[in-house]
Amino acid sequence: MTLLNLLETLLVIGMLGAALFVVRTRDLLAAVVVTAIISLVAAILFYVLQAPDVAITEAAIDAGLTTAIFLVALRKTERYEK
Amino acid sequence: MNLLLQGVAGTLILIGSLFLFLGALGVYRFPDVYNRLQAGTKSTTLGALSLILGVGLAEPAWLPKALVLMLFILLTNPVSSHAIGRASYKSGYPLWEGSIVDHCQEHDACKGGGEA
Amino acid sequence: MTRRVLAILLLLILAVALYQALARVPFGTDRMAVSRYYLDHGVQDLGGVNIVTSVVVLYRGFDTLGEVTVLFLAATGLGALLHGLALHDEKRRRTKTPPSLIMRTATRILFPLILLLGAYVFVHGHLTPGGGFPGGVVVALAYLLGFLAHDHWRVNHRAVRWIEGLAGMTYVIIGLLGLYLAGSFLANFLPPGTPGRLFSAGIIPLIYITIGFKVGSEMTGLLSEMKEITE
Repeated sequence: MTLLNLLETLLVIGMLGAALFVVRTRDLLAAVVVTAIISLVAAILFYVLQAPDVAITEAAIDAGLTTAIFLVALRKTERYEK
Repeated sequence: MNLLLQGVAGTLILIGSLFLFLGALGVYRFPDVYNRLQAGTKSTTLGALSLILGVGLAEPAWLPKALVLMLFILLTNPVSSHAIGRASYKSGYPLWEGSIVDHCQEHDACKGGGEA
Repeated sequence: MTRRVLAILLLLILAVALYQALARVPFGTDRMAVSRYYLDHGVQDLGGVNIVTSVVVLYRGFDTLGEVTVLFLAATGLGALLHGLALHDEKRRRTKTPPSLIMRTATRILFPLILLLGAYVFVHGHLTPGGGFPGGVVVALAYLLGFLAHDHWRVNHRAVRWIEGLAGMTYVIIGLLGLYLAGSFLANFLPPGTPGRLFSAGIIPLIYITIGFKVGSEMTGLLSEMKEITE
């Protein structure tokens, strides 16, 4: 397994761990921030797979815009679940 | 001359990675939000700057772009950590129980947060 | 408990099914005739060095028009939903903290730089990775920085809506010009030029500037509406 494959495997395992945290946590603010981290890792994976246009688009949209929209939506409801 | 430049670039990249690792270690080990911000900002900014300068010296065609990137990181990283610190103080995150002094209570911009 | 077990089981079955379906497709090899044609003839036919944007705007330009329409519908729907939905809840009104001096000063330096970056990304869409959509989003992110750092940063809603409508109309007008001058809707009616220069690649720079303005103004209007419901 080459070094690049090792990096990809580590990143995917990190994404899976972060996704499990997002599903299980009660603190919705932390869930939104970890969602932004998941999209950042996805953008890095897109770059490693030689698709720079998709990487730029994913990083700009999901690590900035949808996090802001989620946070504004969270402002109108409760921060802790249940 | 070229060998010297490559040597300096390699050393800078190594120093940069070391500081980034130390920053991550600090974020993991410090007990409090405010301490973690110290480690996470100062160390990682220096590490990123050093890494990008090393890459810029190793490939001289990329040097102007690397300098612009360094300037941008130097501008935005401290401002964002200031915003995070201020927001967590205002939200009332408690200081670490070993904290001795809280200078922000003396200013009237900081009322209402950070019970120690 | 049983529901969770069933959900995980369903996800596992779905994962196995997707794997079986996609594992034998030869991605990235030389078995795909259409992409081989695009890669071989894209640069000399159209002049744009970035093959991805050549495919998105010229070979498959009509799908991009559909994408722009879907974005427009989503932003308009969100605007209609949020109109007049302000936060009138008195018991949740927190004391407003003024933004600090550091944020205001840094925003004063960074806002034109980020706008410049967004404009660079969508003007050079045919040369560097990126294109109209990320460029427009970066422009909207500059305005988001303004909203976060200043207390009374307002965007003129009429101007934003006018720019968005005019940009969308310009896209269709360029397509109709292609119909009039070169025979089919969204056809390439400008010369390809020398690959690698700024004024090359046919109508790709024009369309990407249009898309950049449209997406930028759309996202800025969306963020402004979302900020106003938290006032």
